[in-house]
This record gives sequence, structure tokens and C-alpha cells, in this order.
Amino acid sequence: MLRRGLRNVNRYLLVFAIAVSLNFFLPRLMPGNPLALIAGVDVGLMTPAERAELMEQVGLNEPLLAQFFDYWKSVLTFDLGYSYRSGRSIAEMIGERLPWTLLITVGSLMIASVVGIILGGFSAWRRGKKTDLSLLTSMISLQSLPSFWLGMLLISIFAVQLGWLPSFGAETPASGYVGWERVRDILEHAILPIITLTILSIPGAYLTMRYAMLEVLGSDFIRTARSKGASERRVLFGHVARNAIAPVVTFLAIRFAFAFGGSVIIETVFSYPGLGRLIFESVSGRDYPVMQAAFLVFTVAVLVANLFADMMYPILDPRMRVR
Amino acid sequence: MTAGAASPADTAGLPDSQAGVLLAVEDLAVRFETPTRTVHAVNGVSLEVRPGEVYALVGESGSGKSVSMLSVMGLVQIPPAVVSGSIRFEDRELLGMSRREMNEIRGRDIGMVFQDPMSSLNPVHPVGRQIAESVRLHTGASRKEALDRAIDLLDRVGIPNAKRRVKDYPHEFSGGMRQRVMIAIALACNPRLLIADEPTTALDVTVQRQIVALVKELQDELGMSVVWITHDLGVVAEIADRVAVMYGGRILEKGESRDLYGDARHPYTSGLLHSIPRTDTALTEWLPEIPGTPRPITEQLSDCPFVSRCPLGDASCTGALPELTRIGNPGHFSACVHHDATVDTDELWPSVEHGVGDDPELPDHPTITIEDLKVHFPVHRGGRRNRKTTVRAVDGVTLDVYAGRTLGVVGESGCGKSTLGLTLVGLNEITEGSVDVDGQPLDTSSGKHRRTIQMIFQDPFSSMNPGMRVGDIIAEPLRIHKIGSSQDRAAKAVALLERVGLSADDAQRHPHEFSGGQRQRIAIARALAADPEVIVCDEPVSALDVSVQAQIVNLLRETQLETGVALIFIAHDLAVVRHVSHEIAVMYLGQVVEKASRDVIYDDPLHPYTKALLAAVPVPDPELGVDLKPSLEGDLPDPADPPPGCRFHTRCPVAVKGLCDKTEPQLAEIGAGRWVSCHLVDSPLDVQPAPDLNRSRDVPTESFRNGDQSHTNIDIDRD
Repeated sequence: MLRRGLRNVNRYLLVFAIAVSLNFFLPRLMPGNPLALIAGVDVGLMTPAERAELMEQVGLNEPLLAQFFDYWKSVLTFDLGYSYRSGRSIAEMIGERLPWTLLITVGSLMIASVVGIILGGFSAWRRGKKTDLSLLTSMISLQSLPSFWLGMLLISIFAVQLGWLPSFGAETPASGYVGWERVRDILEHAILPIITLTILSIPGAYLTMRYAMLEVLGSDFIRTARSKGASERRVLFGHVARNAIAPVVTFLAIRFAFAFGGSVIIETVFSYPGLGRLIFESVSGRDYPVMQAAFLVFTVAVLVANLFADMMYPILDPRMRVR
Repeated sequence: MTAGAASPADTAGLPDSQAGVLLAVEDLAVRFETPTRTVHAVNGVSLEVRPGEVYALVGESGSGKSVSMLSVMGLVQIPPAVVSGSIRFEDRELLGMSRREMNEIRGRDIGMVFQDPMSSLNPVHPVGRQIAESVRLHTGASRKEALDRAIDLLDRVGIPNAKRRVKDYPHEFSGGMRQRVMIAIALACNPRLLIADEPTTALDVTVQRQIVALVKELQDELGMSVVWITHDLGVVAEIADRVAVMYGGRILEKGESRDLYGDARHPYTSGLLHSIPRTDTALTEWLPEIPGTPRPITEQLSDCPFVSRCPLGDASCTGALPELTRIGNPGHFSACVHHDATVDTDELWPSVEHGVGDDPELPDHPTITIEDLKVHFPVHRGGRRNRKTTVRAVDGVTLDVYAGRTLGVVGESGCGKSTLGLTLVGLNEITEGSVDVDGQPLDTSSGKHRRTIQMIFQDPFSSMNPGMRVGDIIAEPLRIHKIGSSQDRAAKAVALLERVGLSADDAQRHPHEFSGGQRQRIAIARALAADPEVIVCDEPVSALDVSVQAQIVNLLRETQLETGVALIFIAHDLAVVRHVSHEIAVMYLGQVVEKASRDVIYDDPLHPYTKALLAAVPVPDPELGVDLKPSLEGDLPDPADPPPGCRFHTRCPVAVKGLCDKTEPQLAEIGAGRWVSCHLVDSPLDVQPAPDLNRSRDVPTESFRNGDQSHTNIDIDRD
């Protein structure tokens, strides 16, 4: 099993290498001066001498292959360069922002998967009945909600009207909270973004689980379980759910990538200082080096999520295990 | 064999005596109401199962046999199923019982085994746990106790190394072993009734024999009753004490097994018995056919369900359902208004005379010459060294195929017979050796031999594009090979449809509008479209209903006589193969172990494997007093890792240590046209040609060309 896992890792390393290479070549293959994309400078305002100096500085006059190796070196050493706008180290900026994004995306996915699996399982059990149909209808309606609208709605209710929760930021600035007080403060700030992301993720998990359950319910081995005299509940939990969970894991991996990308909107709505907001800021400030680094982090996140799903499969389905 | 207290004399009259009845089903009716239509699956079935007997429920698909027994288990979905009547088990009414009460009876008092042992076991739980679940549900045993019981049960149903294998998952077992696991689950709590729903249909004959023997043995040991649901009249004859024949959701005939087989009174029963090919009777040129095809019943039944297909069907059969009435020996009932006329069943089901002439002379040159053919597939096994192994699906086969003749290829699943067929039509790469067609090497690029060699597949349901019209499906080979204008092709498609017994209008319909037998007719028309020289038929009748198989077998034979096409008939059903073939090749693990003309092989098999295969074929005659000892133990070894020496030695009853497990035997000619690959078959050149069974379709024994295998046998001294 470990062996298989390692083989998977190899495959993912290959995808990673391709993604990084693309990230290197794209700005260089685009029309126009790559200097603008790589150094992020308003090239048009410079004198030719200044440009040449800058080219030298960022290494654009070196042979492509040498640049390529330099790029790889910097990626592998997390030396991602400096922001054009703030002049700070990009690695440092990402290190600051990433935990916040992980907090809300992973947090919301965990809640969404538990709620979605339970509701989906329940719905499949009551298939065709009133509870199933009303759950199904409401989930489909939920799925069609725009994320920014939902976020603003929650802010207006819980932050503005009721005043229960803060409406922006990841923690109260300059509060000096430590220990549990700080944890509480952080959670208070995270609740609304997490709820928004959770609500958006539940329908997918629910629909996947419900469909997988219905499919398993029609299998021959479910009939076998019933012929043993197993109660409906035992059939559902002992036989159906266990078989239906695998597709849900795949869904969650895809949803994780989706939520990571979706964090741009959510974090902007909640002024949450995560990676998504960093992207928003760098786009509006045309801070190309930061954008490129953030894309790289996204790529890695998506790969890791898929790798996780791949590794889970043999655990969930013995037929995938190598003898 | 009837262990019940009641002797046959006590049970005369209708209904059967209530004394000593374990399961009494009375006037059971089941209908399925879907939004589009209502299907009346069971229409008034009454039967009694006595303690300790084997009761067989025989019928085709859609006859209601499985639905009746699923109703006993409470396993039909309610709704859309509407179940009425009465089901009494040990004097408790099961219909209308609460779910909780029913759950106590299921698995404890009544166990059930299903058809497909792969899909019937939960893939994510170890087998031990699945058996233990049954035990724990009904006995309150601890996890440990239940697992110990599971090991005992696995051991009892004949799984080697039960203690170690209890933690294995279903996919790690072979088909036969999985069915043993299913039996262990069903018997976990020593039920008084075992319902076996087509338990051997998905298995090879040799494994079928093992499972039948196991169930019979366990039944005697535990004193339980068995309801055996099947379409196979051969298996029924081997195991059943009493039989009920179902059609259209009704029991048409029931009685003691020997009465039913020896004195079948209902036209349907006698039709079935006449139309199935068997290995024990003289061959006839044409099989008697039951016309038409079984249809689902969508309206309340008011006529005899068989009337439209019955040679005796007339106005008196309609208007009222014929009731089961006693006829012949005590306990023998039949539901037909024409009882007096059905006494001579031979006249009722005459052999259909198609009269298109005799077999052509054996041509001088074969159409296809297969020379030491090898087809290997690489497989990734993973494992510690991630080793790549090779499945030697076909491993050195030498055969000839002649125009106008049929070569039967038989063997257990996994023996490579289908791979051989697919290779001939160019769907597999040849690893080594050669296939020559009309003296030219097989060229599978478009426009070459693909037209010359056509194929008919096993499953007529999945081997046709559901989006295409039947006319286009038949004309497609012509379009691919750019033969004729589109009008010509359409005209030819219509002509072919009429040729195979369908109508011109059918060209505009889609495959789903046809029954299985009709679809196989379409498949034959498609194969004939491009005027092939050879048609490879891969299990062409095994997916069809029993009453339809004879029609297709006859049609294939008829087209062969008309067109002179060569047929390669790949099948596991040795009775069908015997009926259609001129020559037979028996395959085991990718190699031909014996080949000869049909009558020689069936009358005097020499290779131990051929003998075992033939001995495993169930014969539909209970009077034969069948020996239930399995003819072959164990399963087919892994084709990626065939045993050294003779590949069959691991299962061979007569294998000689030091010889068979060391030296590989060669296929050698040991009589005129008769080839065997076995160390222990001496070269009895004095072997008499087998007596011809009153058949004109005799075959010159030279029909197999000498292979290039070495004829010298280093281990066995020949004169």
C-alpha cells in the first residue's frame, strides 16, 4: 500500500514539475516584454539604460535554460522574490496569508462533508418520500446561491443588524489577546466566512452522497444483507454508507480546489487576510510576481488534495489495494 | 431421497396434505406497478415444500420463479410490488408480517443464495465478517465467537485454509469459492429452508458440479429443505425430489422429478425437454423448436400464458386460466385443457425440417490455418517488486477451420477460448505464431480480412449500439467495407432481416424493441452482411432463454448449409457444442489438450480433462441416478502462472508424480485425426473409430491437419 502511495507521489511530482514549468514559460511566451510580467515594473516609463539594468538584475538576459534552472532553484528554496508594490519577501507574505485561507477552507469543508454525508445518507434512506424531496429541492436551490451575495447577506444579518460577530478581518487588530482569548477572537472572525463556504459546499457533498447511496442500495449485496435479516438501519450503515463514501471523498478533493479558488471572492467580501485576498490585491495592483507565486501555491494545494483522495481510495475500497 | 414424512400416496389430491409442510405458498400473486406499465410477475402460484426435500422451481427469465421466492423472503420492493395470497412458513403467515418479525426469520430460519456470487458479496468487508454478521444478528454471539463460527463454516463449505482466508475480501476468491462463501452465509444459523436462486448459472460446469454436490451434502447433513430456482433442466434432474415448471407467472406442471421427466404432460414442459440439446441422446439433424419468445405479462392474465406458442393452443385455452389437475402418478399435476392430446409428446414437438441439403464435402484446403498461435497479455501485478507478468491467454494453438464446417471450442472460463476467437477477427494482437486466411497471413487492417471473418457476440443486449436503427446496424459492415450504394445496402439489410426470420419493417426499429432471441437474429444478420467466409460465434446462445436457444442453433446451422460459411463455435455448454460442431477442440489454460471429430470426442474422450468436462455436464434424466461426486476438484490455476509440466496436473485425478508435474506433454496424433496432449494416453493406434450415432453428419477424421508439434513422446514408450 505504501508502495502504491509512493507511485502516486511520483505521478504528482511530474504534474507539479509541468505546472511549475508552465508558470515559468507563460510570461516569457506572452507577447510584449516579459520584463513587465516578471519584474512587474511600468516598463514604458523607463529609459533604455534603466531597462537594461533591470533586465540584468532579474536575469532576463541570461540564456533561457539558465533562467529555467534559476527559477527552479528559487521555487525549491521558497525564494519567490519580492513584491513590486510592498517590496516585501513574497514567501513571507504567503506564509502569513496561507494559514488563514487553510483555516476557512479546510474548516468549512470538514463541516460541509459531515453535514452533507449525513443529510445525503438520510435522504437516500427516505428516498422518494417527503423529507427526501424537500431536502433535495432545498439543496439544489442552495447550490445556485452566488457566494458574494450569501456572504453579504450574512454580514448584514449577523454583523450589522444583530451585531453578534465581526464583519471583517481575521482578528481584532492591536487587541493584545493571548491564549484562549485569541483563539476565541480568531474563531469569531472566521465563523461567517466558514459558514458561507460551508453552505456553498454542502449541496455538492449531499448530492454526491445521496446518489452514491442510491446506487449502492440497488446492488445485489444489499439484497444479501437483507436476506441475512439485517435491519434497515444496519443495512444502511453497515453496508450502504461504507460503499458510498468513496465518491464523496473524490468530490471533497475537487471541492477543496474549488473552495481554494473561491476564496478570492469570499475573502474579499469579508476583508479576510488570506491568500485569496492577496491575489485580489496583487491583481488590482498589477503585482505580477506575487500573482505568480500565489498561483503556484494554488497548484500545489490542488495537487495535494487530489493526492490525498488517491491515498484514501485503497483504504476505503479493498479492491484498490495491491496484493 | 424424499426425507419428508409424507409418502407420495398421501399427497394425492389438491392441495397437498398440510401434514409435514414446511413452506406453503397459496395463490401468490405479485405485480410490479411502475409509472409506465404494470407487470404481472406471479399470477396465482401454489406450492408446498416438505421438510428435508429439494424442490426445484424451473422456468425461463420472467417466468416469476425468482419473484415468487423473493416474496417468501420479503425481498421484493414494496411498493412498487403488490403482493397478495398467502405464504405460510411452519404455520406462520409471512405476508403482512412486521419488518422486525421478518428480519428474525430471514437468515435464521430461511437462508438464501443468489446467482452472481461476485456482486452478491459486499466488496468492502472481509468474507469472515460477512458470515459473522449473520451469526451475530441471530444468536447474540460475541464478535470472537461469531468469527470462530465463520471459520468453521468456511471450512465446512470447502474453502482451503479457512482460518487464514477468513480475513480476505470477496475479490480475492474465485467464482466458485465466492459461491461457497455465499452458502456459508446462508447456512450460518442452520436454517430449515435454503432458497438457492440460480446458484450455479454464473459458474463453469465443473464448478457447478462441485456446488450442486456441496448443497446436496449439506442438505442431507442438516436435514433442511432446499428450493432450487433454475432454468437448467439438467441440474434439476440431478438434485430435485420434486419439480414445478413455471411460465408466465404460473405453475404449468408439477410433480415428482421422475414423473416430470419421464412423463411430461404439459406441452411447455415437453417442449423444453425436447428442444434442449443433450449429451446422452442420439443426435438429430434439427432441434425441435418452441416458436416465439416469452413476453412479460402486462395485463391481468385470463388465458393460458403459453397459448400463443403452443402447438395445441386453440380457443379452449383462452377465456379461463387452466387449473392444475392431477394426472398420471400421485402428486403429478398439469395445467392444460388438452391433457389427452399431449400424451405423445414426441409428435407434439417434431424435429423442425429445414431441408437445405447435406454438409458439403470436406474441402482440400482449410480456410483458416492457425499455427502455434500465442496471444499473451502483459499485466501489472504491483506487489513488492511491482513485477510485470504475462497472461498466456492463448499459448501455442494449432487448428484448422474448413469451409462449411463448424469447429467447436470448449473449456472452462479462463481457458483462452474467447481470446482465440477475438484474435481471429483481429481484436487482439498476435504475440507469436501465425494465422493464415486463404493462404494469406491474417491482415486485420480495414478492408482486408475484417470482412472475411465476422463475429457474433454472447450478449445481444450490450453488443449493439442502442442509438442505431436495426437496418443501419446490419448494413454497417457493408458501409465500412464500401460495398454497394446506400440503397443496395438498405435492400440487403432488409433481405437479411427476412432471412433470419424478422420482418422488413424491423429495419426502422431500435435494438431495445427486440427480445434477446430476436437480437441474436439481428446479430447473425449483421455477421452475414459482408458475405464472410468464417463467423466466430462466442457463446451465441448462452444469454438466451432455454426455449429460444433451439431456434438460434437451428438458424446458425441453416445459414451454414446455405452459404457454406465456416463457423467457430465457442461455448461452455457441451451439449450445444455437440449439436452444432463437426470438429471439437478442448482447451485448457491456453492450450488445446484434445481435438478430434465430434462423435469421437463425445463417445470416447481420452484426455482426463475432456473426460471430467463431459462427466460434469448435467443430464436431464433423473432415472440415471447421477453420481454427484465432483468430476473435477478445485479451480482453474492462474493463467499468468501456469503449473509446470502438464498444465492440468494440479487437478488431474490420474496425474503421475515425477512425470506430469515435470515434463510438458505435446499434442500428438494418437489415432486418425485424433490429437491428445497427455503422457498417460498411450498411442493406441488400435483404437476403434467410435460407433457412429445414427447420424449422417459424420466427419472424416482427417479433418485436423497435422500440427507442427513434436510427435515424439519422450516419456511414454510407444511401439
